[in-house]
Amino acid sequence: MALLEIDALSVHFGGVVAVADVSLSIEPGEIHGIIGPNGAGKTSVINAVSGMVVPQSGSIRFADRELAGVAPHVISSFGLGRTFQHVELFGDRSVLENVLTGFYRHQAYGLLAATLRLPKAARTERNTREQARNLLDAFDLAAFADTSAGLLPFGIQKRVDIARALAAEPRLLLLDEPVSGMSETEAAAAVTTMRKLARDHGITLVIVEHNMRVLMNLAERVTVLNQGRLLASGTPAEMQAHADVIEAYLGDAA
Amino acid sequence: MRARVLLILVGLACLAALPLFATSYYLYLAELAMINVIIAVGLNLLSGNCGQISLCNASFMGVGAYCTALLSTRLMLSTLISLPVSVVISALLGAALGYPARRLSGLYLALTTLGFLELVGIVIEEFPEYTGGIRGLKVPRPEIFGFSFQSNASLYFFVLALTIGAVVVGYNVRRSRYGRAFDAVRQSPFAAQALGIPVARVKVIAFSLNAAFAGFAGSLLAGVVGFIDPPEFGVLTSIQHVTFIVVGGLGSITGSIAGAVLLTALPEALRGVQEYGELIYGFVLLGTLLFLPRGLVGVVAKLKALRSAKPSAKELAYGAP
Repeated sequence: MALLEIDALSVHFGGVVAVADVSLSIEPGEIHGIIGPNGAGKTSVINAVSGMVVPQSGSIRFADRELAGVAPHVISSFGLGRTFQHVELFGDRSVLENVLTGFYRHQAYGLLAATLRLPKAARTERNTREQARNLLDAFDLAAFADTSAGLLPFGIQKRVDIARALAAEPRLLLLDEPVSGMSETEAAAAVTTMRKLARDHGITLVIVEHNMRVLMNLAERVTVLNQGRLLASGTPAEMQAHADVIEAYLGDAA
Repeated sequence: MRARVLLILVGLACLAALPLFATSYYLYLAELAMINVIIAVGLNLLSGNCGQISLCNASFMGVGAYCTALLSTRLMLSTLISLPVSVVISALLGAALGYPARRLSGLYLALTTLGFLELVGIVIEEFPEYTGGIRGLKVPRPEIFGFSFQSNASLYFFVLALTIGAVVVGYNVRRSRYGRAFDAVRQSPFAAQALGIPVARVKVIAFSLNAAFAGFAGSLLAGVVGFIDPPEFGVLTSIQHVTFIVVGGLGSITGSIAGAVLLTALPEALRGVQEYGELIYGFVLLGTLLFLPRGLVGVVAKLKALRSAKPSAKELAYGAP
């Protein structure tokens, strides 16, 4: 039984067709890559799944719930998290506060408890703070805990974005170009972290990338998009040898 | 941290000692400043943190003031009841306005809140048998368990205690999940939604909370001034509230306090220069906006950054304390 089932998804912006008739399914525990050249519709797929864009047609089912047309924060509460290509961090908040914000929906105290800082609120905040510190440690971000997120280099911001998304404890995490802006070493470290993460927490990962190399030793299956359409799917090795994929990437000059 | 605690303690000691040497007029002025602090703390949660503009803050202040006036003169209720009831009514009205306004921002929100302000003004003027219309209403001093705060010092301490309470509540909200949600909604609604934060509902909560603060301040204002009338709760007052937080520092509780106190004291300090007073007030306002884009708290942060040699200097200059 697939965890995420996308069926005949189409996303239009006015007359522009960003995604046309794309179907794919993602199994629980899988690390799935979505790849394609610029303008292939990768981010539009992620936006549709996370509810930021309402698809024209098609269905998106996550753990047997229909997602098309559902509000983004509700989709998030189903256990579907995402990161952003151009990190959407809370720039003037510290790294710790960014990650703390990720715990919002798991903190159970209400407004009255918050205003009077009743014991329940104080206790929850203490626990959350500890969990957030652990996340920072896991992503090697402890040194930046009190730094405003907006002042950090892009590569580090990417890590904060992932840590913050994990704070919401998703079952499936959509990562939009998670290693862009990172150096070779940083990217390698990030890939290791992601693999560990998927294994230890049983999180299903969907990784959007335009760089095939990143996915080669990370993804178990890869879906290739081109100009909004599904081009091919299979193992990374198969995709690298696939004639249509090579053509999409290198042009049809050959 | 320790320096901060010390500073707060010294400040509180000064405030507690004020009735010993201040004349009744200066005590009254201090009470007005404190009421404005409550206003600014509440408005800063809505505008500074949640990023929602409001031009009807004075209306909620008016709702609180008129509720308290009516409850204490018509129903002879103690402040112990009239104050919380006023706050609750104001908060409910805030939610009622926040709900339709939750999808608006910028100019549209400004105009919507301006419309609400007009509406409240009309209601006050159209029901003179209750509100006294344009002639206003007299309000008795606060009273708890039969004790009326008739002496100036007792009234001062009453307002001081409640102001401290309001500031603590503001601080609690700031460092709670709601405070973080406000900041998230302002800085990136997309990221907020992706983290499961219901953006629209959070905005309604911010509106309601701000209205509660304003209603609370209005309720105190009625008892302190002893008289309320519609002009007190017009658009100029609303704009004055916005200047408190912009001059003090958006999104900062310290800034709310600094802005409210400074801008309450400034017109008084400028009394000596008569008609030039307003001119200087205007220049101070413009100067702050032009040269201190992050308000008074921005200056403190910058000074701190200059003095410390740590690499975190840069972020102190930009990050909110």
